[in-house]
Amino acid sequence: MAINIRNPKGRDAVVAFEAVIPQRDVHFVDEKGKPVVTQKLLKTDVEHDLDALLKKRKNLNALSKALIKEDPEIDIEEFGMFLTDTSKVYVSKKGIIHIVDEVEVVSKPDGTIRERRPRIKDPQNINTDVPLRWTGKFIDKDEAAHRFVFTHKRQLIHVNGLTFDFLYEMAKELHDRDSLLLIRGGEKGDQPIVMQRGGKPYNAFLEGRIDGDAYLLVLQLSNMELKRPALQEESPESDTSTTESESRVKGDAAPKKKPAVKKASAKSAEDKIVEKQAAVVEKKKTVKAATSPSKGKPAATEKTKDAAKATTTKSTTKDAKPKSKARASSKK
Amino acid sequence: MARPLVLELDGEEFSVSIKKIDRDQLYGSVEIEAYDEKGNPASLLILAADGKTLLDKGGTALATIDEKGNSIERSTLKAVSSAGKEISAVESSFNVTNHLKKAEVEDYLSQIVKSIYVIDPFDEETDLSFIQAHLAEGTIYKFPFSYRGGGIDPDNAFVIGNKTDAFIIVGKTARFQFAKLNQAVQLDSFEEQEISADDIDFDLL
Repeated sequence: MAINIRNPKGRDAVVAFEAVIPQRDVHFVDEKGKPVVTQKLLKTDVEHDLDALLKKRKNLNALSKALIKEDPEIDIEEFGMFLTDTSKVYVSKKGIIHIVDEVEVVSKPDGTIRERRPRIKDPQNINTDVPLRWTGKFIDKDEAAHRFVFTHKRQLIHVNGLTFDFLYEMAKELHDRDSLLLIRGGEKGDQPIVMQRGGKPYNAFLEGRIDGDAYLLVLQLSNMELKRPALQEESPESDTSTTESESRVKGDAAPKKKPAVKKASAKSAEDKIVEKQAAVVEKKKTVKAATSPSKGKPAATEKTKDAAKATTTKSTTKDAKPKSKARASSKK
Repeated sequence: MARPLVLELDGEEFSVSIKKIDRDQLYGSVEIEAYDEKGNPASLLILAADGKTLLDKGGTALATIDEKGNSIERSTLKAVSSAGKEISAVESSFNVTNHLKKAEVEDYLSQIVKSIYVIDPFDEETDLSFIQAHLAEGTIYKFPFSYRGGGIDPDNAFVIGNKTDAFIIVGKTARFQFAKLNQAVQLDSFEEQEISADDIDFDLL
């Protein structure tokens, strides 16, 4: 994958944009110490599920007898085959369909439905003619870590000698500032990052580290603040799911016919939330003096460290404005 | 009854309960309903490579196979490290005292996040003000975490706080690589493309 990004001088370049995988130092071996692999198999298909079998047998009693005598739920030829190159398709009662009307059912945190609207799939904006913008809006690493949850990460890597220098300089500036930089997309440079058509929008923050003559540039992606929900379920869930919500498509539970939907508003609720998060970076408030547990007295009496940083950031942002004008002219 | 998670900091132990939180609880959620041209409801199924076999949820299974393609019982497998050393199963974090160690913000930012929990006192006797005060200063702590135990590779749990609450962020360290001049990568000819089915997100707001 590629990303088109602009540096502080307003120059842009297309570089590689790679997913990051977790470190794992564990492998499984069989009794002889030989490596093993995991393979996905076909267990059953829709023609052999309960609904399909019931259509042929009419009632459960007849079906249960057939299950014992004839094994109609098993296709000896197909079941157990390796599954590769699968794809997802929409199926209605007419079979596979290619023209689909998708409706978004938006629910509030308490589960009540807020609105139903047609789904609009925005295009990706990381590799277009308009490069992602170096906004000049920095946020201290510590503060960012305490305010946002960075659910996804992507690494930026050079594709030739020129882009090595390009990315190294960016990483060095961020490393020296010990800050993350807000990255925005779109012509006005005010949009969150969308990595695939119809994908989720994310607030993207660029992190840079330097180790000798090597660099690390990571795009930290967040769509969630670190805060306690107003409404919370009582029972803790198990640790099997991730923060990435699973894809949910209503099939059986959906209404029998398409209900009326409202016209989609120009700005989705998701965009509003992402904008709200981004506003945190742009608009910082002075933090009240905190109590130090070691000394038993306020850690700061006049201005906290955070407040000082906020002042610095504000001035940085102000400084960035004339620069962005200069960038615009240099681009021409 | 839920069990407490025992955290230990500077010789003091705290029994806490943890509750999982996610984005839907903060901002709400979105579900997708799909319809064909005539308004009949449609559902999303998996199409096998043969172009005709349709699978619903639960239609697939995972099998462990050896080099020759024979199926192997998972109970007979051994976990080993890259060096070939056998790894023993870890115990659930709810069965042990979890010692908190200071962590750097870079460690925390290197995590691929799996789960987020909010911390509360397990009972009325537990006072978290000591740990809360340290977290409010901006300190981040970490400890190895396994929810159920029995696994062989515990996750990293980071204890982090904002002004009012404390959280545990569970994840795995990302495999970052510092890039050098001679490590350029080939650029894919990526144009805007139809989204891969696996990448479709249905909880867009």
